[in-house]
Amino acid sequence: MNAHAVSPGDLSACEREPIHIPGSIQPHGVLLALDRSGLTVVHASENLERVLGCSAAAALGRMLEAVAPPLHAALAADLMVELRDDGARYLRTVTLPTPAGERAFDAVVHPSADLLVLELEEVAPGDSVSLDALYPAMRGFVEQLQSASGVEALCRLAAEDVRRITGFDRVLVYRFDEHWNGTVIAEDRNDVLPSYFDLRFPASDIPAQARELYRRNRLRIIPDADYAPVPVVPTLHPGTRQPLDLSYSVLRSVSPVHLEYMRNMGTMASMSISILREGALWGLISCHNRDARRVPLRVRNACDFLTQIFSLQLAARERAAEAEELMRLGSVRSQLLGFMAEEERFINGLIRHPAQLLDLAGADGAAIVSGERCWLLGSTPPEADVRRLYEWLSAHCGDDVFVTDALASLVPEAEAYGGRASGLLAIAISKVNPSYVLWFRPEVIHTVKWGGDPQKPVRESAGPPDAPVRLHPRKSFEIWKETVRGRSLPWKPAEIETVKDLRNAIVGIVLRRAEELAALSEELQRTNKELEAFSYSVSHDLRAPFRHIVGYSELLRKQEGGTLSERGRRYVETIIESAYTAGTLVDNLLSFSQMGRASLKPRPIDMNVLVAEVRRSFALDVKERRIDWRVGPLATVRADPVMLRLAVENLVSNALKYTRSRSEAVIEIGCDRRGDEVVFFVRDNGVGFDMAYVGKLFGVFQRLHRMEEFEGTGIGLANVRRIVERHGGRVWAEGAVEKGATFFFALPATGAH
Amino acid sequence: MAEIKPILLVEDNPKDVELTLAALEQSQLANEVIVVRDGAEALDFLYRRRAHESRNTGDPAVVLLDLKLPKVDGLEVLAQVKGDPNLRHTPVVMLTSSREESDLVRSYELGVNAFVVKPVGFREFFDAIQDLGVFWAVLNEPPPHNGLQ
Repeated sequence: MNAHAVSPGDLSACEREPIHIPGSIQPHGVLLALDRSGLTVVHASENLERVLGCSAAAALGRMLEAVAPPLHAALAADLMVELRDDGARYLRTVTLPTPAGERAFDAVVHPSADLLVLELEEVAPGDSVSLDALYPAMRGFVEQLQSASGVEALCRLAAEDVRRITGFDRVLVYRFDEHWNGTVIAEDRNDVLPSYFDLRFPASDIPAQARELYRRNRLRIIPDADYAPVPVVPTLHPGTRQPLDLSYSVLRSVSPVHLEYMRNMGTMASMSISILREGALWGLISCHNRDARRVPLRVRNACDFLTQIFSLQLAARERAAEAEELMRLGSVRSQLLGFMAEEERFINGLIRHPAQLLDLAGADGAAIVSGERCWLLGSTPPEADVRRLYEWLSAHCGDDVFVTDALASLVPEAEAYGGRASGLLAIAISKVNPSYVLWFRPEVIHTVKWGGDPQKPVRESAGPPDAPVRLHPRKSFEIWKETVRGRSLPWKPAEIETVKDLRNAIVGIVLRRAEELAALSEELQRTNKELEAFSYSVSHDLRAPFRHIVGYSELLRKQEGGTLSERGRRYVETIIESAYTAGTLVDNLLSFSQMGRASLKPRPIDMNVLVAEVRRSFALDVKERRIDWRVGPLATVRADPVMLRLAVENLVSNALKYTRSRSEAVIEIGCDRRGDEVVFFVRDNGVGFDMAYVGKLFGVFQRLHRMEEFEGTGIGLANVRRIVERHGGRVWAEGAVEKGATFFFALPATGAH
Repeated sequence: MAEIKPILLVEDNPKDVELTLAALEQSQLANEVIVVRDGAEALDFLYRRRAHESRNTGDPAVVLLDLKLPKVDGLEVLAQVKGDPNLRHTPVVMLTSSREESDLVRSYELGVNAFVVKPVGFREFFDAIQDLGVFWAVLNEPPPHNGLQ
């Protein structure tokens, strides 16, 4: 579409076409390449005779002074001035006596290697525009520029003004993306040519060497696409054997491919002006006319100047817009951090505010994956795919930020869900437990909104209707679609920065939580120490009074028992009993807390021996009872002997206690290896318990029987559980009322045999 | 039989003193029971210092030593007794409310002869005290030269 847009689908050679040395010019002027020292003619365009009355062949090798005395007279002084190698310079408008009569020419000069290239562009009658006429238009433009609100408004303004100054049918502002694909972002036109607004063009439409040329030479014009190129002779410099470089030429002939393209677009005249930002090609102002159209050099220069001002403004606006966007995103980020701070689990701060989370990265969908958990927000691939992406990220991406706008090129399976996730931006938010926040962007094709109808492209006045259309915006669009297939809109630096900040903040939160945890654990250790001190003092101070009560009551009963009434003696008994119970309670509490705190000193224990010892310790208490002991062969386990003994004592003591009412107690102790644990059991034929309360059995102070039925403090089984659990084991029980009970404890089989 | 040696009871709690004395009384030992109320006084007695400088009672057959004592605590007294070549043969029984493992371990490290956690039940307490008294004061004659066993 632009001065050198070509389509490589048909003409792949275009990429390599040396367009800066075409060897010809357009016919609306003449060209002379002069030796710098004596201004001898080294190259000349073959139409020289039309202007100077002297053929190119005749002029070659002769001095300018001899070939064209009036021209030499008018320009000699200007030509001797040292020229900078940065483009063509307008010298002056000269009037020359041509064979067809007096004509005005704009004289432009630029250096090319060691030659001076002098171009004379004919000023068409009525084309003479004075600077005075251009000035108000330019001033108006500059004034409006100041008040344009954003980049888009600025571009629209530039398109309008360039069209007003030049009179083209359509002026476009065309912007490159980072892959050099182009989008028409602003347009001003009349009804002669169709709208190209928002059309997309592949990078191949303006190949690299053309872009480089555009960067160096800011303005190109083709007044008539039907022109016949005028050769410049000789092709090679007679001395250096080099072709003449016409990069800065204002008359340079363009590629025939481009001319074909123009004709297919139905535009006979075109002009394009480069928009440079910080030295790099940012975009183009591209002008088209249905019919051939000349734009005087002065007007072109005015457009160039205007575009330069526009470029400066653009850079400033873009920077401002970027800063503004960064600030806006910053405030979204702060909002999210605020949400996170309010939540117990900070991740909820993100999950519960999807609008802000998506806004932060300008994404259509997001996912948060942390270990087994996965939350999907907005438009995302299915969870299974997100999970696989998460695994891929865990394996392939470091712990910082991951960015791509072509996910399928890295993860081929992503092609299947490219409509939702062609772009992926991800941050790792935890190192310990791999967690990521992922943002998704759809394939860019899915997001394109068409100003015009791309399926109804321009065919009007594109040559004979039956001519094969090789080059066409419609084709460009197809190629563009191929180019951007699987791609999303790129993630902007501001967006990447913002999510990086978010990541750092989250990692900060995680770290702070970790520190808080550390502080908490320190606090816990401290309180544990306090608790230890407390239980020490309890063991000394609280036990003593109970002991004293029991002691004095006993003495009282012993010494004064005879003189007390029956009731008095019962009171004393009760005092003794209660104080004794209270003291025992303290004892049991202490041993329970000790079980929790004392360090384990595991060693191999032969349970046959341990059970035998425990039985012996109860022998005295049960010597008058009938007990059928059934003790099977028991395993050896690795455990703390003191603690394990206490546990077994408790279980055996319970079995004895709850079989008291039986004429013959049957107490069975056995063991069984099950997988990686050894299960011991103590079974009795006692009063049993209701399985409905089985959950309460092992709790502290949980009793299932009334005190007068069975004495006890309700700590025994809690102690058993604590001891067994501290050994990495577990406890449980089975029973039925009046049908006996079985208590199980399982210990890890490590070291058991 | 040699002169009957006294029993030294080191106990700060007057109720415990009374109960212990009652228990010892019931065991019908002939030994005199000397009661001192803190660790410092216990050491004074053992070393014949200050108030006990000119005591005419002999060295104790056994020291019943409470763990928690004012001024110098039981463990400290134990350490001094067991660290002194002239006293280390004196049997020391630690009497305490404490079931704290560290006390127990420390006492054995220092060379205590027995360690009795005062039971809550008076009968058990009586039994324990009587056993101790009988065992240490009557049955066990300290060996003439070396350690106890």
